Amino acid sequence: MKDVRIWFTKDDECRFISHLDLNRCMLRALHKSKIPLWHTEGFNVHPYATFPLPLSLGFRGEKECMDIRLVEDCDYNLILENMNKCLPTGIRVFDVTEPEMKAKEITFASFKIKLSSDEANTDRLLEMTDELLNKDEILIEKKTKKKGIREIDIKPFIEKIRIERNIGGIIIYIILPAGSVTNINPLLFIKALERYYSTKIYYDVTKTNMYDKNLKTFK
Amino acid sequence: MINKEVEKILLNVQKPGRYVGGELNSVVKNKNEVDVRFAFCFPDTYEIGMSHLGMKILYSIFNNVPYIWCERVFAPWLDMEELMKERNIPLFALESGDPITDFDFIGFTLQYELSYTNVLNMLKLANIPIKSCDRRGLKQIVAAGGPCACNPEPLAEFVDIFFIGEGEEVDLEVIELYRKCRDKHKNREEFLELAAQITGVYVPSLYETEYNDNGTIKSFSPQKNAPAVVEKRLMMNMDNCFYPDNFVVPNIEIVHDRAVQEIFRGCIRGCRFCQAGFIYRPVREKSIETINNQCKTLCNNTGYDEVSLSSLSSSDYTGIIKLLEKLNEWAADEKVSISLPSLRVDGFSDDILDKIKTVRKSGLTFAPEAGTQRMRDVINKNVFENELMETCSKAFNAGWTKVKLYFMIGLPTETYEDVEGIAHLAQNVVDTYYRCENKPKGKGVTVTISTSSFVPKPFTPFQWFGQNTREELMDKQHHLKDTITTKKINYNYHDADTSFLEAVFARGDRRLGKVLELACEKGFHFDGWSDCFSLEKWLELFDEASIDPDFYATRQREFDEILPWDFLDYGVTKKYLIKECKKAYKDTTTEHCRLKCNNCGAAKYGGGVCCERR
Repeated sequence: MKDVRIWFTKDDECRFISHLDLNRCMLRALHKSKIPLWHTEGFNVHPYATFPLPLSLGFRGEKECMDIRLVEDCDYNLILENMNKCLPTGIRVFDVTEPEMKAKEITFASFKIKLSSDEANTDRLLEMTDELLNKDEILIEKKTKKKGIREIDIKPFIEKIRIERNIGGIIIYIILPAGSVTNINPLLFIKALERYYSTKIYYDVTKTNMYDKNLKTFK
Repeated sequence: MINKEVEKILLNVQKPGRYVGGELNSVVKNKNEVDVRFAFCFPDTYEIGMSHLGMKILYSIFNNVPYIWCERVFAPWLDMEELMKERNIPLFALESGDPITDFDFIGFTLQYELSYTNVLNMLKLANIPIKSCDRRGLKQIVAAGGPCACNPEPLAEFVDIFFIGEGEEVDLEVIELYRKCRDKHKNREEFLELAAQITGVYVPSLYETEYNDNGTIKSFSPQKNAPAVVEKRLMMNMDNCFYPDNFVVPNIEIVHDRAVQEIFRGCIRGCRFCQAGFIYRPVREKSIETINNQCKTLCNNTGYDEVSLSSLSSSDYTGIIKLLEKLNEWAADEKVSISLPSLRVDGFSDDILDKIKTVRKSGLTFAPEAGTQRMRDVINKNVFENELMETCSKAFNAGWTKVKLYFMIGLPTETYEDVEGIAHLAQNVVDTYYRCENKPKGKGVTVTISTSSFVPKPFTPFQWFGQNTREELMDKQHHLKDTITTKKINYNYHDADTSFLEAVFARGDRRLGKVLELACEKGFHFDGWSDCFSLEKWLELFDEASIDPDFYATRQREFDEILPWDFLDYGVTKKYLIKECKKAYKDTTTEHCRLKCNNCGAAKYGGGVCCERR
C-alpha cells in the first residue's frame, strides 16, 4: 500500500461545484482511469480518498490536493495523464507526489481576493479596506453549529495582508488560519467590509497555497 | 462557458453548478462553424433533466452532425429566475452561455403535463414570443416531442412542430429541411408546410378544429396539404439504432447519477392504465451482444461505477439471465454494479436476485397497482397475491426488511372494498415477514404503501374514463388510512389536486391554450413542485378563461366522440382500445404479446415481438 498526494487546480465552471460534488467527481475520474485504488474494508466498502483542506464553493484553487492510497505502485506521470483525460477541464491535475507532511499540519492558507463594486471605485475600495484594517477590532457575525449566531473579532486572525490596485477594483492578498483547529473563511473579511460600509461587493477568491504553523509551504 | 453577467449572480443562488456547464463530455463547438443551433430544453431543473435518457441520445445524435450544435437548457430554479429577471439576463444555453433567443430551434421534451407552464415560462425568459403566430422569420422554431406529444393539442398555439414517436431520425430530417429552406430563402410558413409532409411531424397551425354545441369536437381538418392522419416514427432495428457511447457527466449530483443502458422499447403487458405500454408498441429488444458492448463503452467513457438497465419491465427481457451473466463477466472485476429497475412482482426470481446482489439492501419496490384481484384484472396487471407473497418471502429470507408497494386509487369500477384491499394486501406482506424462517434476526418489517390518483391518459383503454372527483379521491385516501391498523405499515399518498390538473391537460384540446397563456402571463412555473403548485390559483385561471376543467378531467366520454388526439396514429387502433375497455369493465384480462397476439394494430410495423415465434 502506498499513500499518494494528487495536486490539482479547481477553476472555471468547476469552481461552482461543492466539496461533496468534487469528491464524487474525483472518485469517478479515479475509477475511469483504472488507478489501483485501495478500498476501505468496513461494512460499506468504498474507495479511499481524502482532502487535507477542502475548498469553499465558488473559490478558485491554484494548489488543491487530495490524498489517496494505492494497492500497488503506479507511475505518477501515468496517474497525472489519465486523471486529466477523465476530469472536466475545470479541474486539472498538475503534480503527483508522496505526502511529506500530514494533513493536520495545515495551519494557514493564503488567498488572492479580487474585489469590485457597482457602488465604489478602486480609490474608494482602497480607502474602505485601509480604514477597516486600522480599526481596533473588526466585528462580524459568524454562524456556528453549536452556539448559533455570535459576533467575533477577526482582526487578530489576519496573519498577513497586502492590497493592490486592480482595473475596476482591488486585489487583496491575505493569509488566514486554516485547517482543523481554527479556520477563518476570507469571506468574513468581505462581509465585514459590506457590513461597515453598507456596500454590495463582488468577490472572486482564489486559494493560492497552504502552510504549516511556521508558514512553511504544505507539501 | 459562463457568461459574465451570469457569473455575478452565481454565488447568490443555491447549487450554482446547475448553471455553468463545463462537464466531462459536454460538446463545445465554434459557433461560427455551425449552421444550425439547437437549444434542447428540458422544462425542469438540471438535476431532473440531466437524468433523462432521451436527451442524452438526441444530444449525441445532433452533435455528431458537424453543422449542428445542440446545447442543453434547463429551467432555472426560483432563486435563479428571480435574479435573472431582476438583471435582464435572458435564458441561456449551458455549453456556450449564449442567450437562446436567436437559436434556430428551441426543442422541448414533454415528459409530464405539469411542466407545460415551464415550457412557456422558459420561452418568456428567453425573450421569445410564446405564441407561434407571433414568431417571424426562419429562426426560433419551437419544437416538442416526448410522451406528452401524444396529445399535443393543449400546446397547439405555442409549438410550431411536434415530433410524434421516436425522434432519432425525424428530428434530423426536419433540421436538414430547415437548412435547405434557409439556403433557398423560403419563409417560415413554407418551411412548416414542407415539414408537415415528413412522417412523424405534426404542425398544429395547419389544422382547424370545429366544436359541437356541447363542447365536444365536431371536426378536425388539415389545411394546405397537411396529412389527415399523422403517423408516429419508430426505430425497428434496435441493434442498428444509434446509442451514445458517451454521456455528459454532471459535476453536481443529479437524480439518476449513473450510466443508463436501454435494453428494449415497448412493453408486452398491456396494463390498461399505462400509456407507455401502448404508445411504444411493439416491443423491440436489443441483442445481448449490443447491450454488453454498449454498457462497457459507456462505463469506460463516463467513469460511472453503476449501470442501470432501462426498460418498462426489465424482467420481460427474453434473455435477462444470460444478459446478467454476460455483464457479470467483467462488471465485478471493474467494480461496476448492475441495477435493474422496473422489476415486476412476478419477475423477481432467485436467478435474478443472485446476479444483482451487489445492490445495496436499502429497500425493494413493487407495484401491484391495485389491492384486490378483481381490480387487478380490470387494469390487466396480471399479478397475483400469492406471487407477491412469494416474492416478498424470497426478499425477507435474503435479508430485506423494507418493502415499498405502489398502488393507484380512483381506477375505473373501483369500490371501497377494492380500496380496503390495499390495506389487506399490505397486512398480508407484514404477516408473511413474520412467517419467514430466515428473516433477519431481531428486526421488524416496514411496509410502505404509496397511492397515486389515477389519471386517464390518451391512447389507453381508459381514455374515455371520467376521473374521480377530488372529493372522491380524498375520501378514498382517508378510508384507506382508516383501514390500516398497524404501525408497521406507512401510508403516503399523492395530492389529488395535482392529479386533477394533470388529467385536464392530458386529455385537453386547443382551447386550453388560453388558460396556459394566462398562466404564463401571471408567472406560473414549476407546477410539478409543491413549492409552487396551487389548484386554487389554477381554478381562478379557468374561471377567467371561461373554461370548465371538469369537462376534460371528470366527464365520462362516449366511444363515438372525436377525441383531440384521434388524428395521431401510434399503431394501436381505436377499435382495439374500445375492445380492451369493454373487457376491463367485464373484469376480463388479456394475454400479453408473447403469449398471444391480440391484433392491437402495432403489427403493421412488421417487427419486434409481433414477428417473434410464439
